[in-house]
Amino acid sequence: MLRGPALLLLLRRPAPGGPAHGRHCHRQQEREQGSGSGSGSGSGSGSARPQPPEPSLLRFLVCPLSKRPLRYEEATNELINEELGIAYPIIDGIPNMVPEAARMTHKKAPAEGSEQP
Amino acid sequence: MAAVRLWRWRCRCRALLSRPAGAVRAQRGLAAGPEMHFGFQTVTEEERREKIYQVFETVAKKYDVMNDSMTLGIHRVWKDILVHKMNPCPGTLLLDVAGGTGDIAFRFINYVRSVRQRQLQRKLKHNQNLSWQEIFESYQEDKFNSLGDSQVVVCDINREMLKVGKQKAQRLGYSEGLSWVLGNAEELPFDDDKFDVYTIAFGIRNVTRIDLALQEAYRVLKPGGRFLCLEFSHVSNPLLSRLYDLYSFQVIPVLGEVIAGDWRSYQYLVESIRQFPPQEELKAMIEDAGFFKVDYENLNFGIVAIHSGFKL
Repeated sequence: MLRGPALLLLLRRPAPGGPAHGRHCHRQQEREQGSGSGSGSGSGSGSARPQPPEPSLLRFLVCPLSKRPLRYEEATNELINEELGIAYPIIDGIPNMVPEAARMTHKKAPAEGSEQP
Repeated sequence: MAAVRLWRWRCRCRALLSRPAGAVRAQRGLAAGPEMHFGFQTVTEEERREKIYQVFETVAKKYDVMNDSMTLGIHRVWKDILVHKMNPCPGTLLLDVAGGTGDIAFRFINYVRSVRQRQLQRKLKHNQNLSWQEIFESYQEDKFNSLGDSQVVVCDINREMLKVGKQKAQRLGYSEGLSWVLGNAEELPFDDDKFDVYTIAFGIRNVTRIDLALQEAYRVLKPGGRFLCLEFSHVSNPLLSRLYDLYSFQVIPVLGEVIAGDWRSYQYLVESIRQFPPQEELKAMIEDAGFFKVDYENLNFGIVAIHSGFKL
């Protein structure tokens, strides 16, 4: 069931040159095995299984604006700054810590999935 | 100090909450404002950020290939030299900014792993008369501690570069002690006094407000922490400079078109190298941010320079 999107990803993306060619088949298998993370990397905010960030990373992360600690919200897979009422999305396991991408939680504004400086 | 920060973020939050996103950037002094350079063109600050974002979004997939072809593989040596200069010991916390595809991060992990290996071997050698049980147990420990609690956080503003980096890490088998964050070097999402080393390799040239990035670097470093910057710089030797210019402007954009299908990005690259401050000027900027014992080392006659500073 998950082969379809994984194969599509492979077809869409041009293969990098050089040493990666030899490992192309190996990568295909990896892609299909690790499809939980693989399906996320292509579709952006529509990933079926959101990856929580590593706990070691959460120790370091603070809000770039206020430098206050953040709370990880598993339901929406976001990092929330309670005081400012903003939430930073986590896409493909990578926290998106630019203020332009943050969503305001209490105003219930639609999430800006792709940040643009 | 804390009061000033509190006031500052209060102003920012008020701005963020009450105005739409576009005007937020104006509030934070980022809109139309002073004219800046994008290569040899003159653009506004906002335009520059967008253009640079687009450049790296376009080249992300071919970034490593292009690096190898443009520098004939020498960039690997430069990055190796940077990590050797850093000489990290196990337990070091590294923040690699503009680390996109993870070159420095992987080298850091390799270095720390080999140091750790040697440490453990030495420990074993001193305990030659252990029982088999004790030797077995020491191997078990090593498995969980092959990095000795070292960690590297890769921070980049460009999602595409981070994606490429993460895929590379999966492919090469790097998982432990490595994290990826999407963040702005001018406004790092990290708390004060957190990291042992801060590196920025071939990234500071693309930062729009270098002074802010340097201030942030100072902020997130622990006292005693080291700032390392690897960047293209200025060649003083006139003959070499002519050859270098010739190579840069005639060969590199052509390579860009042939390999990556995008000569404009590589034209920007070579132009931005010319626009970047020379070694002494960058040294002064680093000192302005508060670093001590600031020094630089030229590699390849100044084609590349490593600047280093300490937060003391």
